[in-house]
Amino acid sequence: MNFINHCQQALINLTSAKLRSFLAVLGILVGTAAVVALISCGQLATEKALEQFKALGTDLLAVSVFQKEASKSQSDRDSLSIEQWHQLAERIPYIVNLAPYSTAYQPISFQGKLMQGVIIGADEHLAEIVHVRLAQGHFVSFVESFEHYCVIGYGLAQQMKEVSMDDPIGKQLRIGPSLYTIIGVTEQWSENGFFNEDLNQAAVVPLGGIRLVSNDSKINQAVILLKPDSPIDEVIEDIKQIVRSFNSKLTVFPRSAKQIIASMESQGRIFTLLLAVIGGISLLVGGIGVMNVMLVSVSERKKEIGIRKAVGAKNNEIQALFLVESVMLSVLGGILGVLLGLIFTGIVAYFSDWNFSIYLLPPIAGFLVSAATGIFFGFYPARRAAKLEPMVSLRSE
Amino acid sequence: MTEALIRITDLIKSYHLEGISTTVLKKVSLNVHRGDLLAIVGASGSGKSTLMNIIGLLDKADSGTYLLNNKNVASLTDDDSATLRNQHIGFVFQQFNLLPRFTAMQNVALPLTYRSGSTEVIKEKVLAALDKVGMKKYARHRPTQLSGGQQQRVAIARALVTEPQVILADEPTGALDSKTGTEVMNLFLALHAEGRTIIMVTHDEHIAEQCKKNITLVDGLVVAESG
Repeated sequence: MNFINHCQQALINLTSAKLRSFLAVLGILVGTAAVVALISCGQLATEKALEQFKALGTDLLAVSVFQKEASKSQSDRDSLSIEQWHQLAERIPYIVNLAPYSTAYQPISFQGKLMQGVIIGADEHLAEIVHVRLAQGHFVSFVESFEHYCVIGYGLAQQMKEVSMDDPIGKQLRIGPSLYTIIGVTEQWSENGFFNEDLNQAAVVPLGGIRLVSNDSKINQAVILLKPDSPIDEVIEDIKQIVRSFNSKLTVFPRSAKQIIASMESQGRIFTLLLAVIGGISLLVGGIGVMNVMLVSVSERKKEIGIRKAVGAKNNEIQALFLVESVMLSVLGGILGVLLGLIFTGIVAYFSDWNFSIYLLPPIAGFLVSAATGIFFGFYPARRAAKLEPMVSLRSE
Repeated sequence: MTEALIRITDLIKSYHLEGISTTVLKKVSLNVHRGDLLAIVGASGSGKSTLMNIIGLLDKADSGTYLLNNKNVASLTDDDSATLRNQHIGFVFQQFNLLPRFTAMQNVALPLTYRSGSTEVIKEKVLAALDKVGMKKYARHRPTQLSGGQQQRVAIARALVTEPQVILADEPTGALDSKTGTEVMNLFLALHAEGRTIIMVTHDEHIAEQCKKNITLVDGLVVAESG
């Protein structure tokens, strides 16, 4: 008997037990859909998380320097000076751009009303590296080091609008004890896992003048843009050496975007794998459903098996008959399940604000696994059918 | 006399069920020649169906020899037996045993689908076989749409379609009323007249009388041979 014959006969048999076939297909469908949807969602979620990171490029390095042992005396020696930071950039050729920055904690108020925000001391290099765009005005720069100027983030500007609808440029913002003139407003800045400060809620003051805001502020952090494909470990080692030469008490804590991305990717893979296993369990249950249906089918069709054997069907032809049926059920369930899984992923992506894109792996894997499920769980019933004695099965009703 | 198609010598067969062993065939011997119309007659429990199953290669004897076309079948594998059944033996059962979900045509075609051959050739042979038993116009009917006599004719067409060397009929008229039974019997007689070899199991004396040769089994032993 050839393959097309097997398929024709399988179709006749499957369509004559419609409800049962439907339920078996449903089991596989749900299982496959779960596998496809969970893997796809896992990949999309990972992709979304990475996308934020990659927005600034991957050749970034963040460095913080702290004293090894906390000392009670507050002095310049606790950190690096702006000049020392810039020397780093000059001495390491891989560094394209370097932006030291600092944070301070003081109340911010506008026209007597308290604002929620952070204070960052920075210069134009920071705006370049973390992609801050201005809606109005200009960013604070090196030459304005000791001016009482500040740039406000988009979110802070929104807060100020509640107090006054006037153009914020030129207005005075009270930061700690002093008043600062607003010289720029940023556009909305997309948050980024790499740069931890929230620039949207920030009042950025000139880096050189951070001490005017808060006496104990230290310039102990920097973001660094490297040349593409720089040897990151080597650069980190150079930075450590140079910092040690400035001040042997300081320790460098580096964070490399590439390393973070790599670890996020591997976490994402584990997460996706876990989801795939969960989906796989439901596919397993679907497979058991197919096996059950096929076993019932075999015991119900003993007579047919006997007749077929009497007219000359070999054992493997009987086996093929039932195997083709279970594979057909599974493949149909697999195809529908892949479609359903993708639709489901699309819906989840829509509501989670992910970029929906179809990865090739989940549909192909889902389909192949469901077909394999059909063969695996169809094999035992088919084998049982093939091994029936022709005489015994002919006698059964 | 022509050479024997089937040569059975000292066949013994027992069944073991729940610790009780029953010997169904006790040293049965018989020969069947090409063109024979043989009736195996006996009451129920006489072993005639078991003998039929062994002849039809659906079951194996415990001891004794069975030569089909001078070939000893004792050492055949399941698949070899299946091939021989397909090539040389046509079955007709008391309960017709047609596949309920398949049309008359598909049922008759079944043995041919286990051989190689193009769909066109199969269709031609199937229609010829159906025509021979007068069922060509019911080709697309399913068994449930046919009367008992019609179903048995389809079953006979299925047995004929492979051009077997021997047709084995197990109580072929047993499930039919006397009128259709006679019609089916006449069909067998016509096939015999064409030179086909037919072995028929029956407990019906009237049917047995119409066969050229009779073998009577009582309790697993051949007690009478005629013709």
